[in-house]
Amino acid sequence: MRRAAPILAAAALFVLPLAFMDARTYVTLTVAGLAMGMLIFLVAAGLTLIFGLMDVLNFAHGAVFSWGAYVGFSVALLLNQRWGWATAPSVTLNVLLLAAAILAAMVVAVGLGILLERVIVRPVYGRHMFQILITLGATIVIEELIRMIWGPNDQVMPVPLTFQGSWDIADVIVLRFPVVAIVLGVLVYLGITLLLTRTRVGLIVRAGVENREMIQALGHNIYRYFTRVFAAGSALAALGGVMWAMFSQSVRPAMGGEQLIFAFIVVIIGGLGSVTGSLLGALIVGLSYNYVAFLVPKAAIGINMAIMVLILLLRPTGLFGSGK
Amino acid sequence: MPPEPTHGSPPLLEVEDLHTYIGQHHILQGVSLRARRDAVTVILGRNGAGKTTTMRTIVGLLRPRAGAIRFEGRPIHGLPPYEIVRFGIGFVPEGQGIFATLTVDENLRVAMRDESPESRDRLPRIFALFPALERFRQARAGTLSGGQKQMLSIARAFVNPNRLLLIDEPSKGLAPIIVEHLVAALQEMKSQVTVLLVEQNFAMASALGDDFYLLDDGRTVHHGRMVDLVHDHALKKRYLGV
Amino acid sequence: MTEARLTPVQRARQAERGRRFRQPAPYLRLACLVLAALVPLVVPSFQVLDLAAKIAIFAALVASYDVVLGYTGIVSFGHAMFFGFGAYAVALSLGKFGAPTYGHLAAGFLAGVALSATISVLIGAFSLRVKAIFFAMITLAFAEFALILAVQLTHITGGEDGLSPTLPGIFAVSYEGGRLGGIPVTGRLVTYYFILAICLVLFVVMARFIHSPLGRTLQAIRDNELRAEALGFRTFVFQIASSSFGSVVATVLGGCYVMWVRYANPESVLGIHVMLDLLLMVIIGGIGTLYGGIIGATFLLTSQTLLPHLRTLAASVFAGSMVMQRMTERWLLYFGILFILMVFFFPKGVIGTVRDALARRAPSPSSSPPHPDPPARGGCPTR
Ligand SMILES: Nc1ncnc2c1ncn2[C@@H]1O[C@H](COP(=O)(O)OP(=O)(O)O)[C@@H](O)[C@H]1O
Ligand SMILES: [Mg+2]
Repeated sequence: MRRAAPILAAAALFVLPLAFMDARTYVTLTVAGLAMGMLIFLVAAGLTLIFGLMDVLNFAHGAVFSWGAYVGFSVALLLNQRWGWATAPSVTLNVLLLAAAILAAMVVAVGLGILLERVIVRPVYGRHMFQILITLGATIVIEELIRMIWGPNDQVMPVPLTFQGSWDIADVIVLRFPVVAIVLGVLVYLGITLLLTRTRVGLIVRAGVENREMIQALGHNIYRYFTRVFAAGSALAALGGVMWAMFSQSVRPAMGGEQLIFAFIVVIIGGLGSVTGSLLGALIVGLSYNYVAFLVPKAAIGINMAIMVLILLLRPTGLFGSGK
Repeated sequence: MPPEPTHGSPPLLEVEDLHTYIGQHHILQGVSLRARRDAVTVILGRNGAGKTTTMRTIVGLLRPRAGAIRFEGRPIHGLPPYEIVRFGIGFVPEGQGIFATLTVDENLRVAMRDESPESRDRLPRIFALFPALERFRQARAGTLSGGQKQMLSIARAFVNPNRLLLIDEPSKGLAPIIVEHLVAALQEMKSQVTVLLVEQNFAMASALGDDFYLLDDGRTVHHGRMVDLVHDHALKKRYLGV
Repeated sequence: MTEARLTPVQRARQAERGRRFRQPAPYLRLACLVLAALVPLVVPSFQVLDLAAKIAIFAALVASYDVVLGYTGIVSFGHAMFFGFGAYAVALSLGKFGAPTYGHLAAGFLAGVALSATISVLIGAFSLRVKAIFFAMITLAFAEFALILAVQLTHITGGEDGLSPTLPGIFAVSYEGGRLGGIPVTGRLVTYYFILAICLVLFVVMARFIHSPLGRTLQAIRDNELRAEALGFRTFVFQIASSSFGSVVATVLGGCYVMWVRYANPESVLGIHVMLDLLLMVIIGGIGTLYGGIIGATFLLTSQTLLPHLRTLAASVFAGSMVMQRMTERWLLYFGILFILMVFFFPKGVIGTVRDALARRAPSPSSSPPHPDPPARGGCPTR
């Protein structure tokens, strides 16, 4: 019951805006909000697992997001310039372009993640201050590398034709790409949940999130699992980066830093270490941002902070936090 | 003081002049002990004497600054915990250390170092010792009672074919009747495994123990046969306050 | 003879006092101060004076950050925000209420301090109470929020363009106070010495703070939070006190900064770059050294002043190579690498490393200052 309460409260809260707008606007905003939430979730999921398992607050997570976006951008650009896969009126080619961009971004991010974990994070386990400082230093370097390779300015992300525009369903305008993002987010969430609950690695990771020392005293080399989680989390961040680049149709070197702040808010709301909490937190953040941006545009930036503060006051360890 | 010389087979576990620091604090300042094969060795000492620190140092959760730990004659100090326990050591920490959000079954499965048939074969024996665990197999471990959690923690150390169990204050916070049940279960396990037990409950310690080591201020100050200690009221009063 | 009757604490204090004058550090600090005081008299260049003023402000700002980071052991990303609060409070007070007076100036400082104290206590209350690590995340979010607010509330803050206040009386650019020993007394000069005096006072206050019982408690908490909690300290109360103290000092310095540059916009006083600069300075100078900021600020601000020249030079040398040009443009990259290397290999910074080297040469008990542990490499894998 304690787990159901926040979900019910959140659900009730999201019917509320319906009182202030017509149903069509509500649907449009809801779709946009869910999409935004799902994209933030992709970033937050890795962050929360990395923190839960090893007590590591990875400030470089946002920089990995940016790298993913840029790698995806390069691949998309290349495929479109060479063979016109984005502009071709072919669903197959369009989907292939997205898939290729995502795959390339995730592969690069896995490499980057392993490098970060081994070189940057591993020497400073258990020392929060140094972790934060060193991952921040890594962020500076990684972001500057982006500026060096791709240049410091915004660039336009090619969006495949299939994902542009909107569907008109019973007079309700539903943008296409957000729907793709929502579907992908749901799939990722299900995938993570299955991995965590149905596999032995997942079992060990869940146990490790709860008690890092005990899992070692049971004979499991937690560092091996942590490297995997770090790599997987980085891959998810990169996936989020590509999707966000398509969603906003642009790439910027600092985009990861901004997403990281959203992800922090989400992770705090959801509870450090909880994937489900992150999903819920991300949806809350995405939806409330969109509703408020429509109703009271100036208050939109403040709403997420307000929610975070409120949750911290009511439930200091977050919606699904263990309070460890 | 040097551990007593052993006759015949070497001890399963040998700890020699252990020094452990936590932060800048010099907590263990010379702990020595030996655990005979197939015996229960009890570590006694008042609160803060360093019993838990000794156990944690043996399993590798703390790294000793000086001294030696040998398991079956092989030095294990300085190795990480996940390598140490794989030599055949089961650890039951103070406060149980169960995974509250996992089910009882998952707690047992995660403890199996390899989910081999051999480990699975041990489950019926475990459930015979602790029937409650079988009944609540699918329940979240966090919902168990204190006694059941302790049983789960011991069971977890027993799912692998370990040769040594390190058990830290299993009776802490449990009702007397539950403690009796625990004693009975440990009596049964005694025949299959060597046990190093930290226990403040003197009745339980004397019921189970063959040998004892007495720690005070991070040092071994006394050791001998449990039967001798039971009658040494002066020593008990001095170090244990009983 | 009296020696024998002293308590151990008194004896230790006396020994410390005696040592103090045998160590080079106090003389070096005095030399820095004298040097800063002499700048306007010796070098007539405005660029140098400008650099000196900024170094003074940032050295003190880094020290105030070090109180939070090095002496309390909590990472804040909101320090630049509190600096910005001071800057905006003074700029607004001077610019929005008619002709600026000394009263406006003082009110600006007071308002900034009040705002910072309130906000930092609030942030601390709902983050440090839960988990010290939340503090880093939440201060980062707040800093971003403050930046967006400053950009968006154009009718108050002037948006991206910012505010350009004028200063009252003797601080005004137009002020001419005749000549003193051959040096023309201008508003600039007065402002410079005023800022220098404030920085000096702040340094003294901060040094007092870290050596006070409260400061020592904080260091005990930093070194072993669990133990301090076990001893009955409500650790987060102390942490809140310290972070608020640091924030208030930063706010005062923000006010000084606006007095000097007569300009406040989101980028220059609230932006993430101010925070990055601060971090670099504190790492270079040394965490937990208080005076490391002097070295960190001098190094970073001087090299930033020289960088444009270097870049022009590089551009002419590598005129043909696009890649080389890009590489010289991305100087932050090199600072980032320097930052990582410093954290790994010289976690105590310049000052800490030198202090350690001196202590090793002339070993004396308890002379080693408090330092956070350097990162362990290949150490025990558990906490
Ligand atoms: N994290 C820690 N920091 C500082 N001191 C500790 C820490 N953990 C334990 N101690 C100290 O080490 C000593 C031994 O503790 P412990 O081994 O838990 O004793 P026991 O299990 O015999 O009661 C105690 O004095 C305790 O205060
Ligand atoms: Mg104990």
